[in-house]
Amino acid sequence: MFARDKLNLLKAKFSSAILRADLPADNRLYVFVEPRAIKPVCQHLFRDLDARYVISIGADDRPYSGQFLVAHNFAFDRDHLLCSVLTHLPADNPRLDSIAGVVTAANWAEREFRDLVGIEPVGHPYPKRLVLPDGWPDGAHPLRKDFAWNQVPEGFDDEREFAFDEPPEGCMVVPFGPFHPTLDEPAHFRLYVEGEMVRGCEYRGFMVHRGIEKLAESVLTYNEIPMMAERICGICGCVHNVAYAQAVESAATIGVPPRAEYLRTIMLEIERLHSHLLWVGLACHIVGFDTLFMQSWRIREPIMWIAEKISGNRKTYALCLIGGVRHDITPELKAELRSILDKLEAEWTPVVTAVLKDKNLQARTRGVGVADKTACKNTGLVGPVARAAGVDIDCRRDHPYAAYDRVDFDVITADGGDVWSRVVVRAKEVFESIRIIRQCLEKMEAGPMQAVIKDELPVGRLGLSSVEAPRGESHHFVITGENNRPRRWRVRAPTYQNLQGVPAMIKDQQLADMTISLGSIDPCFSCTDRLETVDLRTKAVKVWTPEELVKMVRAKTT
Amino acid sequence: MSVLSKFQEALVCLQAGRVTLPYPAQAQPVPAKFRGRPIFDAAKCIGCAGCANNCPAREILVFDVCQEVRILKYLGRRCTYCGRCADVCPEKAIIMSHEFENATDAIADIQQQIELFMSTCQRCGRCFKEPSPLEQLKLKGYRMDDLGNERWIYRSKAFLDEEQTVDDVNIELD
Ligand code: SF4
Ligand code: SF4
Repeated sequence: MFARDKLNLLKAKFSSAILRADLPADNRLYVFVEPRAIKPVCQHLFRDLDARYVISIGADDRPYSGQFLVAHNFAFDRDHLLCSVLTHLPADNPRLDSIAGVVTAANWAEREFRDLVGIEPVGHPYPKRLVLPDGWPDGAHPLRKDFAWNQVPEGFDDEREFAFDEPPEGCMVVPFGPFHPTLDEPAHFRLYVEGEMVRGCEYRGFMVHRGIEKLAESVLTYNEIPMMAERICGICGCVHNVAYAQAVESAATIGVPPRAEYLRTIMLEIERLHSHLLWVGLACHIVGFDTLFMQSWRIREPIMWIAEKISGNRKTYALCLIGGVRHDITPELKAELRSILDKLEAEWTPVVTAVLKDKNLQARTRGVGVADKTACKNTGLVGPVARAAGVDIDCRRDHPYAAYDRVDFDVITADGGDVWSRVVVRAKEVFESIRIIRQCLEKMEAGPMQAVIKDELPVGRLGLSSVEAPRGESHHFVITGENNRPRRWRVRAPTYQNLQGVPAMIKDQQLADMTISLGSIDPCFSCTDRLETVDLRTKAVKVWTPEELVKMVRAKTT
Repeated sequence: MSVLSKFQEALVCLQAGRVTLPYPAQAQPVPAKFRGRPIFDAAKCIGCAGCANNCPAREILVFDVCQEVRILKYLGRRCTYCGRCADVCPEKAIIMSHEFENATDAIADIQQQIELFMSTCQRCGRCFKEPSPLEQLKLKGYRMDDLGNERWIYRSKAFLDEEQTVDDVNIELD
């Protein structure tokens, strides 16, 4: 219904530029347009039809269609529709108009496909290298199909330095990271500071690329990828595991048995419980409130134990295969899970009551790290960050997957847009997760846990899947392929968008608030950096010369 | 009222009592389903390479020394303890043990190697029926040519250099 409506709207305006449209289901729309129309179509979707920008994907499609492929994905949350605008570009000259001018949120994604696939976004407002290491030679694009997964490019230049931008007039530069007590993972913010106030920053990340996407499309197979996908993130791994499986299932139209859907829902909510409790603790720790840090982690521990009993591991559940799940919940585990939820609810309630009235905590977090509705729209912020700003989005309700269409729950929102509102949202969402798990345990029917797959998966199909991770929407895009593996798999973790919102959040606030502002989006750098081959360059630490560092690293690994 | 909330928070702490476990002074049992270090049973293994073909971490190597001898090596380096090898093994030759204290400075402590005498299947060269086409085998019987592509593990490193790391995998053929 909605897919057709949107398509008709697009056709009315751009009929001549639309080459083809696929509506495989009511909640998915794939529109192939001519390259020249990509910018106006995206602008129309984003501005006039008020779609939410999700991600852009570049793919090397030359071995199959002789062309490059670019997809810009959008979501119509109220209409329960995920939409992808695709275009093919000539193999000899892959260029297209950048949309980052009109859709700010596309800034990173376009630079990423420029780095990795070599598709030039013409007219990009800030076309700086984003993903590849500094010394990586220009013109070597690791996600191209003619670039082997283990290839070492010619002409890697150890000497090449990262060119930082000039700080604005009158500002000092304060480096934050790559190693900093509040960052669990490397990322570098170069803060421009005037007195105590932060006036801007430059972000430099992608220091931990692990080449997962390249591995998936050249080495791993369909059923191996879920276990690797899980390792994209140490906190919300199950989210990636499920999102990947769902994207492939959606591409290959594989039906998942209902019991498996309930089991996925339960495990995702168990993961959300653990993540929310962990984050509330961490946020308190960052602002110096260690009492609550300890208590919320104590309250969280039984969740880890039950996850271990169900799946065999505290955190890496290794849950999904294509078409089903691997772990069942026996009646005994069901009873135990129920009692753990009761205890959790009983323990978390007084904590939340106390915290919501805690003036000290509020004084430290209110009005800090503000991202309002406009910022959410423009930079595509998702999850608790968006909900804390009153943007009522939640993939569990808006793009229901697994068994979320069969359970009742509320989407918690707040209106401050600041760190405090994020604390409130996440603290309260714990109760919704408890509600969801209880309903699943109630409704879960007996039956198979795995769909029977008799044939190899069809080739060249597109699949999208959005899963609400604890930190926001995690979006996976898959093109199915030959040799029992996808041709292209693109992961967009929530932090990928939320990090782009950080510069706006910290602008014109105290330097001391930087840590909690950043902490409040619950940044996960390994999710964001997931990408390409080779990496880790710590040149930012100037005491060492790069040669010394390399020598040191070599000495250690041999 | 903030003072009240401080009292409430203090109460939460007091009620919690002491929760720290005496681990490692006292061993901590793991649940029955726990996925620890996979352990291979040489007596049961038929050398089908189903595990090697479906190990996401490429932890299991298969090496055919000659027509009759196949070596299966578990490298114990970056195993993710996913348990897929145990899932697909048609002979249940792999169990996911309860061992998790696997830190060691001698990798051989956790490596395992099985030597198997093989005979040739005249029909298909395989003796493993995959559970679904998604677990399909790339390694048929005794095809040596596939080894270079699929079966070797490359060490990932923090820097670029010339030498390929096939040699890194040291199969002792004693
Ligand atoms: S447990 Fe998983 S990673 Fe480890 S050897 Fe088995 S299949 Fe490979
Ligand atoms: S799957 Fe089982 S029988 Fe086959 S090679 Fe591996 S351990 Fe041996």
